[in-house]
Amino acid sequence: MDSSNDDALDIIITNVVATFRTRCHLNLRTIALEGTNVIYKPEVGKVLMKLRKPKITASIWSSGKIICTGATSEDDAKVGARRLARCLQKLGFKVRFSAFKVVNVLAVCSMPFAIHLVDFTKNNRPIASYEPELHPAATYRIKHLKATIQVFSTGSLTVTGPNVQNVATAVEQVYPLLFECQKPLREKRRGELRSQE
Amino acid sequence: MSRSALSCPGCGSSNIIDDDLYAQSQLVCVDCGAVVSEGSLADEHVEGSGVNFVRATTSAKKPCPNLIKGLQRVKVICQTLRVHSGIENLSQSHYQQAYQHDSFINVSLQKKDVLAGCCVLVSCRLLNWPITMGTIGCLVDADLEMVGAVYREMVKILNIVAPIISVTDVMEAHVQEYKISSLHVPEDLAENPKDLTKRAVALVELAADTWIVTGRRPIPIMMAAIYLAWQSLKPTKQRLKFSLDKFCQIAKVNKHRPAMKRIAEMKGVLCKLGKEIPWVSEAVTADNIVLHVADVLQHRYTLLKRAQRSHEKALLDNCEVSCGDSQTEDGGAPSQISDFVNETSNSSSVEQCEPHSEQGNGCDNTCTVSDPHGDSQKSQGPASNWGKRVLFAPPCVVNAKRRRAEQPELKDVTGDEEISDSEIDSYIRTPKEARDFALNQKMLSVLKSQKS
Repeated sequence: MDSSNDDALDIIITNVVATFRTRCHLNLRTIALEGTNVIYKPEVGKVLMKLRKPKITASIWSSGKIICTGATSEDDAKVGARRLARCLQKLGFKVRFSAFKVVNVLAVCSMPFAIHLVDFTKNNRPIASYEPELHPAATYRIKHLKATIQVFSTGSLTVTGPNVQNVATAVEQVYPLLFECQKPLREKRRGELRSQE
Repeated sequence: MSRSALSCPGCGSSNIIDDDLYAQSQLVCVDCGAVVSEGSLADEHVEGSGVNFVRATTSAKKPCPNLIKGLQRVKVICQTLRVHSGIENLSQSHYQQAYQHDSFINVSLQKKDVLAGCCVLVSCRLLNWPITMGTIGCLVDADLEMVGAVYREMVKILNIVAPIISVTDVMEAHVQEYKISSLHVPEDLAENPKDLTKRAVALVELAADTWIVTGRRPIPIMMAAIYLAWQSLKPTKQRLKFSLDKFCQIAKVNKHRPAMKRIAEMKGVLCKLGKEIPWVSEAVTADNIVLHVADVLQHRYTLLKRAQRSHEKALLDNCEVSCGDSQTEDGGAPSQISDFVNETSNSSSVEQCEPHSEQGNGCDNTCTVSDPHGDSQKSQGPASNWGKRVLFAPPCVVNAKRRRAEQPELKDVTGDEEISDSEIDSYIRTPKEARDFALNQKMLSVLKSQKS
């Protein structure tokens, strides 16, 4: 997706998490014994099934709720979920594909400049928070988009949001704020380092 | 008083009075003393409304003893840190508020202790008293993760926005922990805390300008700065031979492993600036830079400008060489012109030549963060290479980790290729193999039919 300046910023989606329901009870033991590429976790009460194409991992619960992770786009997630439902149908369950919802999208983006996190946090005070002793990145939460952006000093960003559109909008929103904090503001910072705000 | 209507059954007189025995009312004849009638104790009606059992037996609500202990703990922590009363009062009120919130009322006593520490921490931050989370962690005897989690939760509940401490503010308090004054160590190793603080603060400021501080934990940076400051204040052979381990031993502090990396990074920066000192003739390396630290710090802004100028000149020379070979491409990459030097005349030519030098350098850099379906060289160039292009950049960018490139699936093998005559033998079974195979298949099918 393009951002609002000349260079296109590459926003790479690394993970899409989606859930759906099969509307029927699933026998985990049957799936574990007869399914292919499955891992049974009886202590937790779920089965992990991995699909090769699209590359997704699904957690299957006996209630019929399934969580698919590892897809790289929303469409991939849907295709994978449908393929999974088909696999379960072949195993003999009366599966119906319903309530498909993309729950979380994780994307990374890289700015071609370093960011001064202290300045960035000070400029965006209540929305951004930065604790260098706990985590090396500043966290910026956009409430109305329900997106969280973690900004690293190297210019890398990780964005999580409920869908791809929100993630892209979040990056576009935060870009100008990052752009103005890209260099250490020499004169201003020299004064700030000595005094306290 | 006498009752007119009644008459005593014994003597018949009408002189009857109310004479209550204890709580029981009685009508008694005055003349003969006979009891005419008495009330029943059970019929006595109580004045006032009835009180139910539960309310009658509960005692008044006492303040929670753990809350009182917690407030006391907050006070003790404040006194240990020797903060002023404003901070003490503020932290106590924060604690009271946070304690009674749902997230903290039912947690373990250890967490409540950590909460006390976090209240003190946030009050110190709000009232500009520099203190690190590490100190609080030591005081409440909990690791940084727990302190961090409780701190975040508390700040969310109480809706506080606390200012971030800068490393230079905390430096003075941190230096006090190092037992390196003349009272604790021999004279040749001792150092005045004030001088040490001043030198270390200058080092940290330089590190902050050159991207070493942003995003890193403050304590290892401070440790590295103090160590280098101590070495450079009196750069004798003995001090130069002291490793960080030994220094921490004599100063009686716990060594932090990242401090070693910070020392190396700081020395790198100092070397880059040390090269620009005009009166130093011999080569400046990591070994002898400590001798020149004082000079570098004193003239650091000038040296930074000079270093930037010579770096840009070097870049210009580089791309002039490669300019002639490669084709002219409109450089879309915004070059990061530092604001150390405002050189407008140079900048335009540098901007145009940047993509060429990148294309020269970009080949040996594996693409780290760009789109896997990477569109063009110039969009890959800025992302992977701007760290090398600039004089100072965050160390993670300069030494970018090579991402493990995904092995491309063998798309060119389809299975329909021609097999040459020389290879055909390896694909066809020998007659013996064919017989064995047929036998095995027969046995398997027999076994299967036996099972079912």
